[in-house]
Amino acid sequence: MTIFIRFIIISTALMFFTFFYLYINDDKYYPGADFTTSNMPDFEIKDLYSERVFSVKDLDGSYLINVWASWCITCRIEHGFLAKLESNNIPIIGLNYKDEKDDAINWITKFGDPYKYIIHDYKGELALDLGVTGAPETFLLNDGKIIVHYRGEVNDMIWNDVFKPVIMKENIFNAN
Amino acid sequence: MLIKIFLFFSIIFSSFTVGESLYEFDSIEDEKRFYTLIKEIRCPKCTSGSLASSNAPVSEDIKSKIIQLIKEGKSDKEIKEFLSDRFGNQVLYNPGLSKDTYFLWFAPGLFLMLILLFFFFRKRT
Amino acid sequence: MLIEIAHFLSILSTGLFFICFIFSFFLNSKDIFIINLVSRIYSHSFFIFLSSFFVYVWLAISDNFSVLYIAQHSNINLPVFYKISSIWSAHEGSMFLWIIFLTSWGAVYNLSTSNDQLLKARTLGVISITSVGFLLFLLLTSNPFETILPVPPENGADINPVLQDPLLAIHPPMLYMGYVGFVIAFGQAIAFLFEGKPEIKWEKQVRSWSLASWSFLTLGIALGSWWAYYELGWGGYWFWDPVENVALMPWLAATAFVHSLSASSKSSILRIWTLLLSILVFSLSLFGAFIVRSGIIDSVHSFANDPERGLYLLAFIGLLVMVSLLLFSFRFNLLLSNKKIASLSKESFISLNNIFFGTLIFSTMLGVLYPLIYEFIYNQKISVGAPFYNAIFVPITLIACIFLYFSIDSKWQQSLNIKSLFQPLPISLTFSATIVILAFFQFSITNLWTLASLLIGSIIIIRYMIVIYFYFVYRKFTNIFSVIAHCGLGLLIISIALNDNLSSERAINIKINETEIYKDHQITLKNLRMVPGPNFDSVKADFLIENPNGKTFTLTPEKRKYFARGQVTTETAIHASFLKDIYLTIGDQLDDGSWIVNIQFNIFIRWIWFSAIMMVVAGLLLAHSLSRSRP
Repeated sequence: MTIFIRFIIISTALMFFTFFYLYINDDKYYPGADFTTSNMPDFEIKDLYSERVFSVKDLDGSYLINVWASWCITCRIEHGFLAKLESNNIPIIGLNYKDEKDDAINWITKFGDPYKYIIHDYKGELALDLGVTGAPETFLLNDGKIIVHYRGEVNDMIWNDVFKPVIMKENIFNAN
Repeated sequence: MLIKIFLFFSIIFSSFTVGESLYEFDSIEDEKRFYTLIKEIRCPKCTSGSLASSNAPVSEDIKSKIIQLIKEGKSDKEIKEFLSDRFGNQVLYNPGLSKDTYFLWFAPGLFLMLILLFFFFRKRT
Repeated sequence: MLIEIAHFLSILSTGLFFICFIFSFFLNSKDIFIINLVSRIYSHSFFIFLSSFFVYVWLAISDNFSVLYIAQHSNINLPVFYKISSIWSAHEGSMFLWIIFLTSWGAVYNLSTSNDQLLKARTLGVISITSVGFLLFLLLTSNPFETILPVPPENGADINPVLQDPLLAIHPPMLYMGYVGFVIAFGQAIAFLFEGKPEIKWEKQVRSWSLASWSFLTLGIALGSWWAYYELGWGGYWFWDPVENVALMPWLAATAFVHSLSASSKSSILRIWTLLLSILVFSLSLFGAFIVRSGIIDSVHSFANDPERGLYLLAFIGLLVMVSLLLFSFRFNLLLSNKKIASLSKESFISLNNIFFGTLIFSTMLGVLYPLIYEFIYNQKISVGAPFYNAIFVPITLIACIFLYFSIDSKWQQSLNIKSLFQPLPISLTFSATIVILAFFQFSITNLWTLASLLIGSIIIIRYMIVIYFYFVYRKFTNIFSVIAHCGLGLLIISIALNDNLSSERAINIKINETEIYKDHQITLKNLRMVPGPNFDSVKADFLIENPNGKTFTLTPEKRKYFARGQVTTETAIHASFLKDIYLTIGDQLDDGSWIVNIQFNIFIRWIWFSAIMMVVAGLLLAHSLSRSRP
C-alpha cells in the first residue's frame, strides 16, 4: 500500500513536469495557420470599382484571397510581397474589408494593384462567414475549396513554410 | 458646440463607425439569451476573454450577427454551431461532450469516487 | 552607480542565502551554536537583500532612467505612488517583489521563533535555498538591474494605463504575500521529514503563519476580482481565466491545509494529509508563478513569453517539488498510526473536506491543462471555460456545504450520535426554506441551482446564529473565528447565486438631454465635457439617474486617451448600494451623434467581496490569537 502511494505520487509528478518540458520545447506549427478544408461560403457582393456583383460561382478554381484594408498598416508592408507573387502569375483576389470605397481606391492607386479583382466587403459579411478576425489574412483555394487560412502578414518565410508545401503537394498554380 | 465635440471625438477616437443599430431585441428573453451567449463565446481575436469582455471590431460584428440570428429564431445550439463552423471549436468556452472531451467531463467525478472508495476501504482494514 | 550597488547587494545576498542553506543541512542542525549561526546569517542576508530593494525603489522615485526596467515602465509624469508600483507592473520587477516577500516571511519567522526549536535551522535552510533559486532566476534571466548606458533616455515609457490604479498597485503585493507565506509551512514540513522524528509537533508552530498567509491570499484574490470588476468595464468579477485559476488552486489547497492543520495540531490525526497539503500548497504557488511567467498560457495577465525563462523556472520548481515529494513518499510511513478517526467526529468531517477540496483542485488543474494537452497532441485548439468550471464547482461546493452544516456540532475525537446531528435541522430548515420561498415569490427565481444555493447558504448562516444564541444564553463555547469565516462562506454562496440570477444589462442609444428608461430608472445624458488629466485627455459624460423612489444621483463614466502610448480606455461609473450596483460605461458614438451606453444592474455584488473580507478578518484574528499563545 505504501509502495503504491509512493508510486502514484512520484509518477504523477514526473509525468507532470515531463509534459511541460515537452510542451515548452515543442516546435510549434504556425499558430496563425489553419489547414482545415472547407467550402467557400455563398455570397453576393459588388466589385470595388464597378457595379459587377460577385458570387461564389466566380470563385471556382484556384486562387489566393487576400483580406486587406486601407486602415490596415501591416497590409502596406505585405503589399510588396503580394506584388511579387502577382508577377509570378499567382492569381490573387482582393477582399477589401470594412473599408470606405474611396479610401480603398486611393490606397490601390497609390501603392499598386496586385489583385485580379477586388470584392468590396464593406459590411464584412463574407469575411464573417470566412472566419476573418482582422487584416491582413490570406486564404488558399483549390478548386473552389479553402484549404489554407492564414491570419497575419504573408512574407517570404510564411509563404515558404505555410503555403508552398501545400501548393506543391496539391499541384496548384501549375506548381510554380 | 455639439459639432465641435463631435469633431473632437472623431479625431481622438477614430474608431469604426459602428454603422447601424444597437442591440435591439424582440423580447426580454431574447435579450437575456444574448447576454448569456456572449459570455460563453470566446473572442477569436483576443488572447483570452469572452465576447462580452471584448470591444474588438470582429467581436462587435459577431455580436451583431448573434442578435440577427436570435431574431431569425435560431436556437443557442445553432448559433454556437454557426460560429464554431467559421471560427473554429476554440471559440466555444463549453467544449461540448464528444469523444475528445469525455475525459474532461467525467474525470472529476471519477476522481472523487475513487478517493472516497479508497478511504472507505482503508477504514475497514 | 547606485544601480550597481543594488545589483551587487542582490548578488551578495544570494551567496549568503546559499551559505545559510549549506550550513543548515550539512552541519548539525540541532547544535544550538549552528542554529544561532544560521539564524544570524539569514538575518544578514535578508537585510542586505532588502537594502538592495530600497535602493531600487529610490531609483524609481528619482526617475533614474539609466535603469532599463525603470525606463520601460515608469515616466516622469507619473505620480510618485505609481512610480513605486510600476516596479511590480511587469516581469522582472514583480519577480523582485516576490522574492522580497519570500525572504520577509522567512525573516519574520526567524525573529519570532526561538533558537531552541529543533526544526528552525533546516526550515530557514529550505527558505534560503528557495530564495537562492529565485534569485538566480532573477539575476540570470530576468535582471531588473540592467542599464542603458552611456546615454540614458530623458524620459521613460508609460506603463499600461490600465495598470495606473491604486487597487491594482496593492493586488500583487497582497497576492504575493499570500503565495509565498506558505514557504514557512513548506520549510517546516521538509525539515520535519528530513529529521524523521514523528514526535515533533511541527503543525502547531506553523498554524498562525499559515492562517495569516491564507488571509492574504484570500484578500489578494478578492482585490483582483474587485479591480477587474470596476476597471475592465464589462461588469464581471471572475472569468476562470487560466491565471485566475492558478491563483485559485493554491487557495483551495491552503483552505484544506488550514483545516487539516487544526486537526493535526489538536489531535495528531490526519498528519499525513497535513504534510502532503503543506507541500501541495507551496508547489501550487510555485506552479502559478511558472505558468504566469513562462508564457505558455495565453492570458491577458501573462508576462513576457520567453521559453528560456520557462525552462529555467520549470527546472528549478521541478527540482524543488520532486525532492519534497520524494522525501514525503519515503518518509510519510513514519506518521502512519493506528489511531482511528471516530465516526462523525470533527476530524472525520475535515477528512471529508480534504477529499472535496482535493477534487476541486484536480478539476481546476484538469481544466487548465486540457487545452494545452489537446493542442500538444492534436495540433488543434480547444477552449475550456466557465461552463466546465461551474458544472464542477457548484455541485461539489453545495454538497461540501451540506456536510459543513452537519459538522458544526461535531467534536474533536468524539463520536457524534446521529440524533444530535439532526436536532437543529427543523429550526434551520424552516428558516432557510422560508427565505427560499420568499425569494421564489419576490424575485421569481425558478432556477434550481440558485434556489439550492440560497437554501444551503442560508441554512449555514442560520445554524451559526443558533450557535451564537447558545453562546450568549447558555455560555456554550464557540470558536468565533470559525463562525465568522463560515458565515462568510454562506454569504458568498448566496451572493454569487443571486448575482448570477438577478443581474441584467442593456446597451442603450442616447443623445444629450434625452432620457431612457431601464428597470424603472430614468437615465438622462446631461452633459459631455473634455477634461485634461495628468497623463491623459478625457471625455466625461454626466448622467442623471432617477430611481423609482424619486431619488437622483449623477454618474460620470469616462473615455481616456493616454499621451504616451495613445491607448484609449473606458472608465466605468458605479453607483454602489446595499442591494445592487448600477454600472455605466460609454461605448462609441454613432453617426447621428448619439452615444452607445452600456448599463448594468449587478445585484448583491458588494456582498461577494464583503464575504471574502469576512473570511480574511476571521483568518487574521485567529492567526493573531494563535501567535499570542505560542510557546
